[in-house]
Amino acid sequence: MRRAVYVILVFVLILGLLKACINRDIPQSEVKNQNTASTFDITYPDNQKNVTVNGVDYLQSQAPIGKFKGTFTSSVIGEGPKTFNPFNSKDNISSILSEIMYDGLLTTHPVTGQPIPRLAKSFSISDDGREYTINLRRGIKWSDGKPITADDVVFTWRDIIFAGLGNTSTRDSIIIDGKLPTVEKIDDYTVKFVTPEPFAPFVRMLSTPIAPKHIFKPAADKGVEAFDMFLSTDVKPEKLVTSGAFKLKEYVPAQRVVYERNPNYYIINKNNQKLPYLDRLVYLIVGDLNNEVLKFEAKELDTISLQGSKVARYKAMEPHSDFTIHNLGPDTGTMYLAMNLNNRKNDKGEFYVKPSKQLWFNDVNFRKAVDFAIDRKNMVLNIANGIGAPLFTPESLNSIFLNKDLKPYDKDIEKSKELLKKSGFVWDKQGRLLDKYGNRVEFDLLTNAGNTEREAIGVMVKQDLEDLGMKVNFKPVEFNSLVNKLVNSLDWDMVIMGFTGSPLEPNGGKNVMMSDGTLHVYNMRLAKDKNSSRYDFEKRIDDLFIKGALATKFEERKKYYDEYQKIVYDEKPFIYIYSPTRIVAIRNKFKNVFPTSLGGVTYNIEEIYEE
Amino acid sequence: MQILIYILKRILQTIPLLVIVSLISFFIIRLSPVDPLAELRLNPSVSQETLQKETQRLGLDKPIIVQYGKWAKSFVKGDLGVTSNGEQVSSKLKERIPNTLLLTVIVIFLTWIVGIPLGIFAAINWKTPFDRILTVLTSVGMAIPSFFFAVLLLIFAVKTGWFPVGGLTSANFADMGIFSQIKDMAHHLVLPVTVLFTISLAGLQRQMRGNMLDVLDSEYVKFARAKGLSEFKVIFKHALRNAVNPLITLLGFEFAGLLSGAALTEYVFQYPGLGRLILEAVLKSDINLVMASLMMGAIMLVLGNLIADILLIITDPRIRT
Repeated sequence: MRRAVYVILVFVLILGLLKACINRDIPQSEVKNQNTASTFDITYPDNQKNVTVNGVDYLQSQAPIGKFKGTFTSSVIGEGPKTFNPFNSKDNISSILSEIMYDGLLTTHPVTGQPIPRLAKSFSISDDGREYTINLRRGIKWSDGKPITADDVVFTWRDIIFAGLGNTSTRDSIIIDGKLPTVEKIDDYTVKFVTPEPFAPFVRMLSTPIAPKHIFKPAADKGVEAFDMFLSTDVKPEKLVTSGAFKLKEYVPAQRVVYERNPNYYIINKNNQKLPYLDRLVYLIVGDLNNEVLKFEAKELDTISLQGSKVARYKAMEPHSDFTIHNLGPDTGTMYLAMNLNNRKNDKGEFYVKPSKQLWFNDVNFRKAVDFAIDRKNMVLNIANGIGAPLFTPESLNSIFLNKDLKPYDKDIEKSKELLKKSGFVWDKQGRLLDKYGNRVEFDLLTNAGNTEREAIGVMVKQDLEDLGMKVNFKPVEFNSLVNKLVNSLDWDMVIMGFTGSPLEPNGGKNVMMSDGTLHVYNMRLAKDKNSSRYDFEKRIDDLFIKGALATKFEERKKYYDEYQKIVYDEKPFIYIYSPTRIVAIRNKFKNVFPTSLGGVTYNIEEIYEE
Repeated sequence: MQILIYILKRILQTIPLLVIVSLISFFIIRLSPVDPLAELRLNPSVSQETLQKETQRLGLDKPIIVQYGKWAKSFVKGDLGVTSNGEQVSSKLKERIPNTLLLTVIVIFLTWIVGIPLGIFAAINWKTPFDRILTVLTSVGMAIPSFFFAVLLLIFAVKTGWFPVGGLTSANFADMGIFSQIKDMAHHLVLPVTVLFTISLAGLQRQMRGNMLDVLDSEYVKFARAKGLSEFKVIFKHALRNAVNPLITLLGFEFAGLLSGAALTEYVFQYPGLGRLILEAVLKSDINLVMASLMMGAIMLVLGNLIADILLIITDPRIRT
C-alpha cells in the first residue's frame, strides 16, 4: 500500500515536470499573418559626404547626432576567427572579424547597391572601362597615427594581392585571359588601376581592405609561408594597425573578440566629432544556433539573426520586450533542385548516369514537368514557416541584376502531365510513370544529411513528384560524400543543394553557370572532359557571362544577365525552390539603426549609438 | 629500486602501445570520407588552383602512409605541427588546457571530498532511511544524461537570470580587479561544475559504499569487532584502508579524464575548453589537431594507470612482494 502511494507520488512529480516543459505553441493561423516590420518604412539619412576640416578630408555622416558611449554585442557561430589578417581569411567568420578593422577604397551603397567611395575620396572610370583612377583622402591616419597614402594602396594590391599572398580568391577572380590588372601611384594621393580588358566586376573588388604598408611589408617580404602565419590569432592586439572604425582590444579564444574605438577614424558626425559612437564592439563566439538564442534571451547579445521557426515566437514576444524585429528581405542564398545532365562516360567506359535516365534528364519537357509539380508556396509555408519567398531565378531576389520579367507561377500538375505526354511518357494501370521505352521512371534524390531544411524540402519534393507517378528514392547523405559525388564521381541523379550568391555581382556565379566551371553541378566536366560537346543553352550562357563581364555600363550588363536568367528559367538546368527571408532582432536602446536588404543591420556600425 | 625498475618497464611497454594507437587513429581519420576541403569545393568563388594549392599544403596529395610517417617524425621530435588554418597546434592546445583543467580539477576535488565520506557514511548506516534516500538520489544522478541536465540548467539560467549563459568570463573581464575576476569566473563555473559534480558524485559514492559494505562483511572486521575494538577504530583503521584500494585505480582513470572527461558538458555550456576545439577539429578532419588530442588522451590514460599502480604499491603491502 505504502509503495503504491510512493509510485503515484513519483508519477505526479514527473508529470508536473513534463508539463512545465511544454511551451504554448502559437497557432498556425497567426504565423501566416506575420508582417514583420519591413525595412522599407525607415527613413534613411542622406548619403555620407566629403568635408574638409583643417586640411583633412573627412567623410561626414548625415545621421542624427548620438552619444559617445556604450557597447554593442553581436555573435558569430562556430569556433571563432582563425586569423586577423584580412588577406588570409579562408572562412566567413575570419573575414567578418578581420574586415571590421580595415576599410576598403570603395564600399557598396546600402540601399542602391552602387559602389561609393569610402577610404577613397572619389573615383572615376575611364570611358573604355579599363582605367580606374582613385583619389585618396588627405590627412587621414592609421590607428597608430601614420598617414594613409597611395603607397599603402599600391603595396596592398601589387605586393599582397597580385603577388598571390594569403587567400588568392580575389586575385583568381580578376585574372582576365591570364593577365592581371596593373596598379600605379600617380602621386601621394592618387592611384590608377588598369585592367587588361574592360572588366566590370573589378570595381567591386576595390572594396577589398587596404593594408598598412609599414606593418605588413616585413611579413610580405618573407614570402607566402611567413605571410600565412602573420597576424594569426595569437597576435598581440596592439600589433594591429587599422583603418576601420574599430581596432582589436582583446581576443579570448572560444569566448569573444572585443574591439575598441579607433581614435583616428575618418568618419565624423555633423558636429565634426570623430566617430564611432560606441566605445566597444563585442563579438561573442557561440557554438551553435541554440546557444545564440539563449544568450540573446538572457540579454547577453544585442542582436540576433532569426531562423524561420523562431520568428513567430519572437514576434509574439516583441510587443512586451526591448527589441525590434527587422525584415531584411530575401536571403542571398539560392536553394535549388538539379538533375544530372551529364551524358559522358567515366574512366572505366561506363556512363556516369544510366542511359535510360539520361533520356529523361536531358529532356527539357521532363525538367519542366518536375518544375511545375513542385509546390513552392507550400514549402515556404511549412518549412520556412511562411518566412520566405518562392524563387525562380538563379539571381537572388534582392539582386540588383534580378530579371523582374520572369514571373513566378504556382504548382500545376495538369501542365506537368501534359508536358510528360508530349515527350512520350505514359502511365500504367497503377498510375506509375513509364517512359516511351516502357522503363519505370525511378531515380535517387540526394541532399546533405543533417541539414533539416533541405531534408524537409526533399520529403516534399518526393511527395510532389510521386503525384506524377515517378518513384523517388530520397536519400540524405553525409555532406562530404555528397560533395564528392557532385564534383568527382558524378554518379547521382537529382540533388537538392544551395549556393551563396552575391546580390551585386552575377559574375561571382560564373564557376556555377559557365560550362567549364568548377561547380557546374548539373553538367560537371572533369579535367579530361573540358572539351566535350556543350548543349546549345550552355554555349549561350558561356557567351553571356563573357560579354557580361566585359561590358562596362550597368544597363548593358543587365541585358546580358537578364538573358542568362531567362535561359535558366526556360531550360531548367537548376530548379530554384525558395529564398528564406532574413529576419534580425536588435535591442531598442540602439539608435541610428537603418537596416537594408543589401547592407544588413550593422553596415553603419560607426553611426550606431546606445541611448 | 624495485619500484624504479617497475616504472621503467611500464614506460617501455607504453611505446608500442602508443604507436599502435596512433596508427589506428591516423588511418581511421584519413580513411573516413571526411574531406577537409569540402567546404571550399562548394564555394563558387574558389578556383581550381586554390584547391590544388590547399591540397598540397595539407599534404593530401601523398599516400596515407607517407602522411603518417611525416606526422610521426615531427611528433617524436616534439613538434605537433600546424592546424589546417596554419596555427600552431601546441599554442591552440595551450590556450584551452588550463580552462579544461580548471573545470575538471574542481570537479574531481569536490567529488572526492564529498563522495568518499558520503559513501562511508551510507555503508555504516546501511539500510537506514538516510542510506535509502542517498541511493535514490545517486540513481537519479547516474541515470540523468549529462547533456540533458546541462541544457536544463541553461534554461534555468536564462529564465531566472541568476547565472550567465555559458562561457567562462564576462565581456568586461579584462577591466576587473583580481577579486571581481575570481568572482566572475566562479559565477560562470557554478553550472558546469554542478552538472559534472552530480554525475561523478553518484558513481563515486556508490563505489565507495559498495567497497565498504564488502569489507565490513569480511572476517577480519568481524574479528576486530569481537576483539572489542572501538567502532571508530574498526572502521577507519581496518575497514577503510582495505576499502579504498579499488578507488585508487579509479583515481587513475580520473586522471586520464582530466583533459577529456568534460567534453560534452563543455560543449553545451560553451565552455572554452578542449572539448569544443577537438569536436570542430574532428568534423573538419584537421588531422594534426585531432592526432595531438588523441595522443594526449592515450598518454594521460597510460600515465593515470601507472600512477594508480604505484600508489597501490605504496598503500597495499600485499602487492609489494
